[in-house]
Formats: sequence, C-alpha cells, structure tokens
Amino acid sequence: MSNRLLPIPANLEKSVPLTDSDRLFTFLCEALPPVAPGQFIEVSIPGVGGFPVSVCDLSRDARVFACIRRAGRVTSALFGLAPGAALGLRGPFGKGFDPALFKDRDVLLVAGGLGLAPLHALLAALLQSGHSQRLILLYGARNPSSLLFAEELGRMTAEGGLEVSFAVDVADDRQPRAGGIPCRLGLVTSLLDGLELQPDRTTAVVSGPPAFYRGALEKLDSLGLSPEKILATLERRMRCGIGECCHCVTGGVYLCQEGPVFSLAQLRRIEGAI
Amino acid sequence: MTACLNHSKLPCFKVKPGLADSCMTRLAADREIWGSSLSRDGLRRLQKLARPDEELDPGLPIVPFKKLLLPANEPLWSWDGSGFRQPDLPPRRIVLGAALCDLQALWYLDQVFAEDPLYLRRRQRLLVVGGFCRIEETCRCQSAALPPGGDLFRVDDRFWVLSRQGETVLNELKNDLARMVDTPLPWPEHGTVPRTGCDENQFRQAGASPAWKKIAATCLSCGACSVVCPTCYCYDMVDEVAADGKVVRRRSWDNCFFADHGQVAGGGNFRPDRASRLRFRFEHKMLGFGNLRGRPSCVGCGRCLPACPTGIDLDEIADLLMAESES
Repeated sequence: MSNRLLPIPANLEKSVPLTDSDRLFTFLCEALPPVAPGQFIEVSIPGVGGFPVSVCDLSRDARVFACIRRAGRVTSALFGLAPGAALGLRGPFGKGFDPALFKDRDVLLVAGGLGLAPLHALLAALLQSGHSQRLILLYGARNPSSLLFAEELGRMTAEGGLEVSFAVDVADDRQPRAGGIPCRLGLVTSLLDGLELQPDRTTAVVSGPPAFYRGALEKLDSLGLSPEKILATLERRMRCGIGECCHCVTGGVYLCQEGPVFSLAQLRRIEGAI
Repeated sequence: MTACLNHSKLPCFKVKPGLADSCMTRLAADREIWGSSLSRDGLRRLQKLARPDEELDPGLPIVPFKKLLLPANEPLWSWDGSGFRQPDLPPRRIVLGAALCDLQALWYLDQVFAEDPLYLRRRQRLLVVGGFCRIEETCRCQSAALPPGGDLFRVDDRFWVLSRQGETVLNELKNDLARMVDTPLPWPEHGTVPRTGCDENQFRQAGASPAWKKIAATCLSCGACSVVCPTCYCYDMVDEVAADGKVVRRRSWDNCFFADHGQVAGGGNFRPDRASRLRFRFEHKMLGFGNLRGRPSCVGCGRCLPACPTGIDLDEIADLLMAESES
C-alpha cells in the first residue's frame, strides 16, 4: 500500500507571472501519475507547509502545471523559490471531470477569477480529444488585467473553435478589452443573458470563488440544463486529500475524495455544499 | 490484519489452571505494556506498566488509547534536502484492559485509517486486550452500537478472539489453552442508558433550530471534548525545522471547534461561527462521515461530559432537537 501522505520529490522548473497576484508554475516530477482535469495535488515546501491546488493544464513530459495565487504563508514561500528548488508533490487526489459527460455535447464553461484554472485544464483535454461541438467560455474577473490566459483565450477565439466572453467588475477603460476581446462590465452570470443554447445537449461547468456557485448553478438550472449535466468544482480546506483529516467534510461527505467535481444533482443532496 | 471476525460467534479459549500469569507474560513479551492506572496526580491515565500483572484501574483513562495509534504530533516524514523519508517503525505494544467503548472506538478508527500505512504500522504492532470496565455515572455505552475492535477480550482465565491478530498470538499459546464451546459473548447485556440519537432526516430538519446558536453560545471553543474523544481523529500537518536544517512534517491533532478548521486560502470560512462548528461535531458523533455515514462515531464513553468546562452534552442536544421536532 503506497503512503499517500509521503510527497514525491519534485522540482520547480519555472514560474511565469499571469497577473499581479497569480503565477503559472511548472513542476517537474517524474513519479507523479498524470493528474486529470478537475483533480488536485498537494504542493509541499519542506519546512514551510503544503497546500492543495487543482492543475490548470494536462500533465506532460513529467511536468505538472498550476496557477497559484499568493494567498498566504506557504504560497508566499513558493513565490520566493528559485527555479530548480526541491519540493514535493502528493496526489493526484479526488475525482475530476468525467469525459463521458462532455462527449458529443456542447460545453459551456462559467468561471470566476482563479476558478478558470481547472477549466483551462478541461479545455485542454477537450481540444486534445478533438471535441467537435460548441465550446463556450464565460469568464469574469475583477478587472481586465486579472483575467488569466486572456491572450491565449483571445487567440483561440480568433482561430475559431472557442467562443469566449469576458466580464469584469471594474475597468479604467470605457471600452475594456482583454486578449482582443471586449469585456462586459458586470457579473459573469450576466453573460448568460441572451446566450443561445440548446439546453438538452449542453454540459455546463462552474468554477469560481465560494460565493459564486449558488447563483451561477441555479441560473443554469433555470435555463433548462439537466442538473446531472451542470457541474461544479468546489473549494474547501483540503489537507490530507485521502478522506481522513476532516477539514473538507461537508454534509458528511469527504469532498477531497468524492469531489471536488460534483453535478448540481449531487450537490443538492449534500447539505451545505452550495 | 485488523480484519474483524464474525462477532456473533467469537472463539473463546480458557487458560489451563495455573498458567494465566505465564500466558500474559508471553503475550506481553517484547512489547511495551500499557494500561489504565491512577497517576500520582489522581487522574487515570493510559500508562506504561512495568509488568503485565500490574494492577489496572478498571475506569477509563482520561485520554483514550487512540493516542498510541494517532500520537498528538506524529512524524509523517522527514526531509534532509535529498528526499522524503518515512519515520522509523513504531514500538511493539500491548494495551491491557481496554473497555468495550474504547474497543468500539478502535473498530471505528480501524475503518477510517484502513488505507493509511502509518496507522496500519502502528496498529499491526499493537495488541489490544479488552477487559471489563467500571460503569460510571457518565457512561452511555451500548454494546450493540458498533462491533468491538481490538484483538482479544479477557475475563479472568478466558480469552475471546476479536481479530486475526488476536487469533495469531493465541495460536502461539495453544498448548496452554483449552478451546471453549459455545461460550456466550462476555458483553451481551452490557449497556448503560438508552440514547435518543439522531438520524439523517432529523439532523437535516433541525438545521435551522435556534438550539445550535443557544448552546454554542456557551462553548468556549477549547476543544477539550475532541481531545478526550476516542473517535475524534482530525488532524493538521505542521512542519518543524531542526537547527541542522532537517525538516519533519508532523501530523498533529486538530480540532473542529477551532475557528480556522473550515477556512480556505484567502480567508473564506465554511464553518465561520461556533454554532456551525458545534453542529459539525454533533454530526460526526451522531452520524459519522464518509463511508461510515449512518454509524454514530460516539461510543458513549462519556469522557467529553466532565471535560467540557461549560457542560455541553451531545445527548442533551439530541433530546432537545427531538423534542423540538415533536412540538
């Protein structure tokens, strides 16, 4: 039986800034099994601590990718590490996105802030699998410069294959744009108004800060999507990742094991989940 | 290893006359011996004993023997710059005179940590011998609520086998033992007071009850109840750096009454007030988490009652919620 609390040796290959507070980290880790979109890993900095993070891209060439915000003591220490620094990774943990729920269906991704990260990984998986139906991304953040991967998303939109709309809370500009795409002022859920969808053939995914879920999920439900095909990836304090330490437990469910990806139908049965 | 046997039909062995002491000595050979006895300060504690025939106190030790399986600050790994190392093997131990409630709690922990190699290493090296306890005013155990964990149960010159590990060690003593036929379980009627409990529906319906806030207002968030609880196992992980740079990450007891237990990066908190934390603990004790949902993790040992400085009693909360739902 493998010891899932023992980190696997890894190195920080590099990190590049994405916004003022977020960086894209590349970790080199030969022995880590591939991490599926929606699953998460634990990053351990010996002597400092560890934290959970979902991957933002597909694992490849012994590399794992994560968008990380400087949010506390451990992430601050990570931001201070030089390329090559030794650290540890544990995982992958949890259940990610079930590919069967996306096959031959229109896909609507609704992201807020750093919540884009796991959806960026999902997007990569869908594109790699040759997804041939509509791919729509509605993405909101505080301001145009805090939209992650805006240039890349703008490029993908220009090339076709992805329909992207941005929403921002505030903007200096009167006609804000990011990655060449105009940003609407307001909540990301307002981008759903007037969006033409075929609810019975659409799978939606919501990912964002905790306050984001209830409104976004119920709005998708009101548009006629099946609650089994409305998914969300939840954030909780996941410490162990293996259903022991109890921090993430919600309605009696270890979200680290049973989630973090759930359908709205499942979430309605878990008290306190949304 | 800790696989339970069919508890309705436990094998029983009687020690041949005059050999009881030598059997205990052989069971305890090459093991640290632990049992409940009075400390000099007058508190009952699980303590290391010099001999297996030392007199035990049949009352419960203030801190249950989960502490031997999940030490309060257990090393998970060490790191010296070149890699992550597992800790050394734990010592071989025997616990004598474990009460039925603590055996049930052990069964619970064995389920929760069934895939945790560090727990299993400790468990495999720990032989747990149950025995009759002294019923106290605070006892609320119920023999039928959960299966007994542990390895053996001893009453005078008889041993009941509770696990494969127990079977293996008794097998080594087989020349000194005689198999008993159809010996009833030693605890058929063991049980103290009837308990109200709380099922899933009742718990959910009581979500909006003002009782949570009212009772939580008296909670000091000290966490003493969880420390003494034999089935409170939540933990955090904390790094410790030695002067030579060697790092040890420790699994240290956490507490769901602490304000940051449900807090995530950025400050959001999923259990932001004492009422939600009290309800969380009640939920774990009455309904269990994960695969064990529906099995109460409270074994009725009663330790939390005297431990709580303000007298919070989970059974009273259950009674109150039931009374509210009926009115």
